[in-house]
Amino acid sequence: MKIPISLQINGEMYQVQVPVQKTLLSVLREDLALTGTKNGCDSGECGACTVLMDGKPVNSCLILALDAVGKQITTIEGIGGITELDPIQEALVAHGAIQCGYCTPGLVMTAKALLASNPHPTETEVREGIAGNLCRCTGYVKVVEAIMDVSRD
Amino acid sequence: MLDLNYWEPGNLLEAVSLLSNLGEKARPLAGGTDLLVKMKKGPINWSGIVNLKGLPELKGINFEGQTMTIGALTPISALMANPWVGVHFPVLVEAARSLGTPQIRNLATVGGNLCNASPAADVALVLLIYEARLLIMGPKGPRKVPVQEFYAGPGQTVLEPGEILTAVEMDVPPLNSKGVFVKHGKRKSHEIALVNVAVLITPQPGTKQIARARIAVGAVASTQLRLQEAEESLSDTVVTVDALERAAELAEAAVNPIDDVRSTAGYRKQMVKVLTKRALQEAWGGEL
Repeated sequence: MKIPISLQINGEMYQVQVPVQKTLLSVLREDLALTGTKNGCDSGECGACTVLMDGKPVNSCLILALDAVGKQITTIEGIGGITELDPIQEALVAHGAIQCGYCTPGLVMTAKALLASNPHPTETEVREGIAGNLCRCTGYVKVVEAIMDVSRD
Repeated sequence: MLDLNYWEPGNLLEAVSLLSNLGEKARPLAGGTDLLVKMKKGPINWSGIVNLKGLPELKGINFEGQTMTIGALTPISALMANPWVGVHFPVLVEAARSLGTPQIRNLATVGGNLCNASPAADVALVLLIYEARLLIMGPKGPRKVPVQEFYAGPGQTVLEPGEILTAVEMDVPPLNSKGVFVKHGKRKSHEIALVNVAVLITPQPGTKQIARARIAVGAVASTQLRLQEAEESLSDTVVTVDALERAAELAEAAVNPIDDVRSTAGYRKQMVKVLTKRALQEAWGGEL
């Protein structure tokens, strides 16, 4: 059974036909070619697939595409512009808080939501805020420093 | 290829009738943080999903008099965001903060944490010390079940076919009560408890006595447990190191953990004693 739905992603409406079990993550990557959102563990452990749903960070691998109807979804493609990076992305680059880059889109989305709700977090709040984003390259020190840097501006 | 059916009932009665007609063929969807993982892992013995998220009856946190009602679809993060929950039920907020990750907490629901019936659940454990009552709607009408009577085994509840947990209600404990939640795991975040303990004590004003103690433990038996004997050993008792030690020993004696990939039965049993005593001491707060 395939169901026709409309999804609002980065301010634009997309029409897709999805089987019931298809996740928002799979639709983003396979149907809409929005491959900035990464598939890490596919079970809600790693945070690589983090997108914002009505402004809140969520694991897109744990949401049925059918269940995202009527929600405002923001992916990494909706952050920053074509010619300029978002301040969070700039800070991650400046601090060398990226290596393989696989966790970075998810981290950017989580940091974006964190700073939107709490513009000047403590270091502990930053660490708790990104606790759902696993990084296996750089570790977290540089990532935390980068987010703290943005929060000071 | 998986070929699932899908329903979005518009109101509670429609959802109840759908679920009772479909029986074992369908699963209700709330936050999805467990259901989707199970669906992907497979094999599954059901073929349809009834999405409950559109039901207005299952949403919101309300206070009326001394009673708080939490809709079953309330996300865990909403418990942390509501200042009144923190004022009246601070241990609930502690448990919410320890559950999963920020992303999971935005999806996972209070009702899901209960209905999943994991012996290690964090938020559900704290509902035991607050003596929550679960509001259930089913084909035969509404009923209320105390949370300590809700579990039938690991992953199993007393919900009958077609029944839906709609809300959780609990009374604000006496003002001088103090609770503590302890989650013991290998990591600070994104952890499933090896053992978790929640206590709530109400001191007898002007004395060194506890009027009433409530103790609940998780991940150490086939269901989460209220430890009645340990609780009773403390009521109307002068608080001493020995009294707390005795309660902790009774707690240890009452649990029946297993060896699994995360820990051993022996370690869990010991930790019940250690953590119960520690939690009671912290909740009491004063000199011993």
